Amino acid sequence: MARMKFLLDAKRCIECNGCVTACKNENNIPWGVNRRRVVTIDDGSPGERSISVACMHCSDAPCKAVCPVDCFYVTDDGVVLHDKDICIGCGYCFFACPFGAPQFPKDGAFGDRGKMDKCTFCAGGPEPDNSAAEYQKYGRNRLAEGKLPLCAEMCATKALIAGDGDTVADIYRERVAYRGAAGLSWGWGTAYGGRQRRARGVDNKTSSQD
Amino acid sequence: MAARFDQESYEQVKGKPAKPMNTKGIPVSRWIDGVLEDKAKIAQKDNVRAMVFWGHVPNSQTRGPEMKTAMEKLDLLVVIDPYPTVSAVMHDRKDGVYLLPAATQFETYGSVTASNRSLQWRDKVIEPLFESLPDQTIMYKLARKLGFGEQLCKHIKVNNDEPLIEDITREFNKGMWTIGYTGQSPERLKLQQKNWHTFDFTSLEAKGGACNGEYYGLPWPCWGTADMKHPGTPNLYDMSKPVAKGGLTFRARFGVEHNGVNLLADGVYSKGSEIKDGYPEFTADMLKKLGWWTDLTAEEKQLAEGKNWKTDRSGGIQRVAIKHGCAPFGNARARSVVWTFPDPVPIHREALYTSRRDLVSKYPTYADRKSFYRLPTRYASIQAKDYSKDYPLIMTSGRLVEYEGGGDETRSNPWLAELQQHMFAEINIVDANNAGIKHGDMIWVESPEEGGRIKVMAKITQEGMAPGVIWMPFHFGGHFQGRDLRSKYPTGSDPYILGEACNTAFTYGYDSVTQMQETKVSLCRISRA
Repeated sequence: MARMKFLLDAKRCIECNGCVTACKNENNIPWGVNRRRVVTIDDGSPGERSISVACMHCSDAPCKAVCPVDCFYVTDDGVVLHDKDICIGCGYCFFACPFGAPQFPKDGAFGDRGKMDKCTFCAGGPEPDNSAAEYQKYGRNRLAEGKLPLCAEMCATKALIAGDGDTVADIYRERVAYRGAAGLSWGWGTAYGGRQRRARGVDNKTSSQD
Repeated sequence: MAARFDQESYEQVKGKPAKPMNTKGIPVSRWIDGVLEDKAKIAQKDNVRAMVFWGHVPNSQTRGPEMKTAMEKLDLLVVIDPYPTVSAVMHDRKDGVYLLPAATQFETYGSVTASNRSLQWRDKVIEPLFESLPDQTIMYKLARKLGFGEQLCKHIKVNNDEPLIEDITREFNKGMWTIGYTGQSPERLKLQQKNWHTFDFTSLEAKGGACNGEYYGLPWPCWGTADMKHPGTPNLYDMSKPVAKGGLTFRARFGVEHNGVNLLADGVYSKGSEIKDGYPEFTADMLKKLGWWTDLTAEEKQLAEGKNWKTDRSGGIQRVAIKHGCAPFGNARARSVVWTFPDPVPIHREALYTSRRDLVSKYPTYADRKSFYRLPTRYASIQAKDYSKDYPLIMTSGRLVEYEGGGDETRSNPWLAELQQHMFAEINIVDANNAGIKHGDMIWVESPEEGGRIKVMAKITQEGMAPGVIWMPFHFGGHFQGRDLRSKYPTGSDPYILGEACNTAFTYGYDSVTQMQETKVSLCRISRA
């Protein structure tokens, strides 16, 4: 079985928002709900970097762990989905998520706590595949059509890659080999303490990536 | 036909009187001066009295308040576009405005050219919605009303008022010899469309299959007739390939010598050229001198006699030149001194509205011109006045990735509009603090003289802009000098996002060769709204 993953190669992202636009159009997402968003850090300054963020479909998803009504489920492909008929719109998943993925539409009588909406990896929901009900609640089920998420398919620079984790890893590994340097993915410095080490004067050679 | 044009003479061309139909017309950047300038000072019979905006938005042009006045002075204003555009709302006319809905690219088909010189064939996705018509149909109907519909479509089949698009492509194939826009027949373009998968992504060359050896889009020059099967020219002036395979030399565009200096190539030539040196543009006489005239067929000879590579309608001169490895347009040197321009080599000339008065005497602009594209054009008389005391900041403009051009189409797209919801000015934190402006405040940006005042949101930046410079995007429209014009759009056609057009505040200034409007340098002052 495949284990679906997104990977964002921050060396390539040009903040064009093509992924955001593709997602909204493919899944017919209303104004104000953003399943995917491009975050730019240090905008306009040297070292500016952009990353495209959506639900990362965690293996041990915190949203699923904290949901009081247990509306989340994980597909055989490792995609984290939820059932909007069970969801009570409490927003607890939003607290738990490290990426700000859960979105809450502003329609309905009580303002901004509608049923939660998030990236489905273009895999729909519990309704029958590609049914009208599924499209209305969750958007397109591209995986059932044998296609990958449109955000990644549309990415002009192929900064955003989606698919089976093994294949995604192969593509990224090849890129890193071409570039001749490791550790250029976003978050590397944070994970391995580059910034702190530089601050302590321990490691002056580390690139200024993050 | 000629009798219907103005027969008077207002300008001298090469020392002789020239009729208006033989002189350069008023460029789009200056149409407002065609309307507003004193009739006695323009080089044509009358002021401009009607404007047809066809796929053009006014907010990409400068001098907003004067443009509004010009729009209101016209007898007739027509907008042909899929969207009403800012042209429909920025004036306060009560009558004489017509909005004609044009079909989008998805509602028609045919050949389209990109700025990389390549052409491709596209299909119709949906039938035109509502009352909209494709451009070619609108053009034919307009020509017919003006009395030359038959001449326009002499060689073009017309079905229910729609000229056959294949015939339109064939029509330009027949005539555009100078840039090699001749080999891309509808049949060749359609064949490429069916064989997309055979083209290499990097080189754009088809490897095998029905289009083997062709470059995608048959980028011009695609020499000769379609029967010649020229593959197109993927990179200009690439002498490492034979001309027949997409190679090229520099064009001998400017004669063979200038001030006694040879302009032709010196000892270099494209691969496989039988002339191993520079050579001029090909003519019938040149073929005869080279002994290549006999390579022409009897039919080609008939049309090529006395002609050159760009006037020979048979394409024979081009075919024979290429057969011998030569470029039909000659083999010359690149020209870096353009002796026909006001500055043969580009030099710095200080902006008309400048905060660096110390540079004006060292790098003065041009003298005012009496008649330039039929209009008086000001340079030195504007630069002479110092505005920098009252308007200390440099104002510049540019693009956003989410929107395109005047933005009427992209601001009407919910997915894109959501990403950029406010017209803004990017300001350095030093200037912002000096003016008491915070991030997200609404501010007035005001410019001198003909420039207007616009109300926009402040975006404060540490490093994005240098102190003393503000930047604005030019894609917004629908607000005018603080006024929201949303109610003036026809019902249901207003874009999701409206905002001030930065060009409302941009001032006078036109390029000394092309008359392109000055949208990059002016002066302004800012204050909290």
